[in-house]
Amino acid sequence: MAVRETKKEKISILLEDLASLESYARDLFGFFPNPVLLVSSSGIILEANPAFEKITGHKTEEIVGRPIEDFFEKEKMATLVEKSLSKGHIGGEEINLFDKNKNALPVSVSTMLRKNESGEVVGFFLGLFDLTNSKKAEENLRNAQAALTNILEDAEEARARAEEEKNKTRAIILNFTDGILVFNEKNRLALINPSAERLLNIKAKNIMNGSISELNNFSGLEPLTKALGTKFEEIFRKEISIKNDLILELSTVPVMVNKDKRLGTLVILHDVSRDKIIERMKSEFVSLAAHQLRTPLSAIKWTMKMLMEGDLGPISKEQREFIEKTYHSNERMIGLINDLLDLTRIEEGRYLYKPALSNFELMVEYVVNSYKEEAAKKKIKLEFKKTEGKLPSVRLDAEKIKLAIQNLIDNAVKYTPSGGLVTISLNYDKDKVELSVQDNGVGIPEDQQKRVFSKFFRGANVMRLDTEGSGLGLFITKNIIEAHGGKIWFESAKDRGSTFHFTLPVKTEFESFLKEF
Amino acid sequence: MTKILLIEDEEIMIGLLQKKLSQEGYEVWVARDGMEGLKTMREIGPDLILLDIVMPKMGGLELMEEMAKDQTLKKIPVVIISNSGQPVELDKAKELGAKDWLIKTEFSPQEVVEKIKKQIA
Repeated sequence: MAVRETKKEKISILLEDLASLESYARDLFGFFPNPVLLVSSSGIILEANPAFEKITGHKTEEIVGRPIEDFFEKEKMATLVEKSLSKGHIGGEEINLFDKNKNALPVSVSTMLRKNESGEVVGFFLGLFDLTNSKKAEENLRNAQAALTNILEDAEEARARAEEEKNKTRAIILNFTDGILVFNEKNRLALINPSAERLLNIKAKNIMNGSISELNNFSGLEPLTKALGTKFEEIFRKEISIKNDLILELSTVPVMVNKDKRLGTLVILHDVSRDKIIERMKSEFVSLAAHQLRTPLSAIKWTMKMLMEGDLGPISKEQREFIEKTYHSNERMIGLINDLLDLTRIEEGRYLYKPALSNFELMVEYVVNSYKEEAAKKKIKLEFKKTEGKLPSVRLDAEKIKLAIQNLIDNAVKYTPSGGLVTISLNYDKDKVELSVQDNGVGIPEDQQKRVFSKFFRGANVMRLDTEGSGLGLFITKNIIEAHGGKIWFESAKDRGSTFHFTLPVKTEFESFLKEF
Repeated sequence: MTKILLIEDEEIMIGLLQKKLSQEGYEVWVARDGMEGLKTMREIGPDLILLDIVMPKMGGLELMEEMAKDQTLKKIPVVIISNSGQPVELDKAKELGAKDWLIKTEFSPQEVVEKIKKQIA
């Protein structure tokens, strides 16, 4: 009795253990959050856990008993099954699982064989890991990576372009023959190019980032620092002398961003030493030439004049005739030489001698008055029409502008017959002043009008009247006006007269300098 | 009689001006360069000087610089008679005290007389 009862007890304990173990296994299988299948060696699903049901949306009845390939990419799964059976296990193979709605879900598959006591394969466990989220994350990461790469490429391209621009600008500044200095917004030296170093005889490293007062300590720079001042007022083509033989034209340009923010100041040094020497040589030549050419002519002029006025004794009528002709011939020669000398002096237009703010109206009036006598002699009416209001001051070279005005009035009087009318009028607006000289004389034929301002031009119709003119007057006048930044033009009709106009700018040259630059 | 010192190197001009000016009743003295002019003006004390610019040994502008240093000499009125007429020169002459100037090819002897009369009655 005791033995049988013990055996019974043992069996019941074993059965309990078994049941408990089975329950444990079943609980585990049911709990496991990853989909797990038990598959027979012939590929039929024997069991599926709730996680598998959840992921596929199928119920156990729809899963168990079906071939495993029904739920996966068929061929791929067949390969995996084969692999599992031959290797004993596989791990982390990617494959698509199809759910109830035929959606493909990327999963990672692992398998493990089950053998019985005899070692026969009775099937295998198949576990899945849902890769959907990680796949999505992967794709997002790839997209972000691509976007970032694009941004980096764009940035790199932009940077390369900016670098190229910067290098280009740098190259221009470095190679510029004029000296360039750039002061930053704190008025400290930010850049100096080799030409400036050479002109000022200074090394960049010694003065970089220096202020104006620090620059003053270097010998020879005082003229520059003095001209620049402390506030960098705008300077336009101011001549400064650095050494005895080095003359520079200094200009400053404020570097603005958006009109109100000042980034700094650009200082430009233009070497005019050689130009000045040439200018001086030319001036000396003209002076000498003037003197040499005029001396014999003035002697002839005065002698003839005194003869005609009886200062050298009485002369016969016949003698007077010839003397007068000689006198006039000589006068013509004097005029020609005057023109040639003027031409030499003003062809180099840049160097207007002492341009200064002037009262243009007064100047015109002065010249008009000087022609009153000649006009009266020819019985021509000379009219001067002033403007209402005050003419703005104009920056001009007085001697040359007077010459220009003289030339126009001279022509008008010369080419208008007796009884005619010459009207000089002034006009202005905020940008310019305008002078007009109108006559009702012989005019300029249309086919000749194009050449009016060219050197040595004389209208065919006037050459018959008066052979005295040199043909240089209007050419010189045009040069003078254009050297001042003005314009000259005319209207004319044959036998009806001409009106010549010229303008002179009122605005500062600085703006036009900027335009050029 | 009013004394005029003519400082000029061109013979024809000298001849013409001497004739004209003496006809007008002036006493004409002549120097042919700046140095001679300086010497003569110290000796005779002219009432007016007609001065050429371009001359050998010492030119007109240099002479005026010398005159400016002398208290007596710088009071003598000077009329420049020249043939170069560069603005630079004329400005310099004005600076140094010249009362008037003319370019010989633009004026006649009679006009020179008129300019003289403007300076000394």
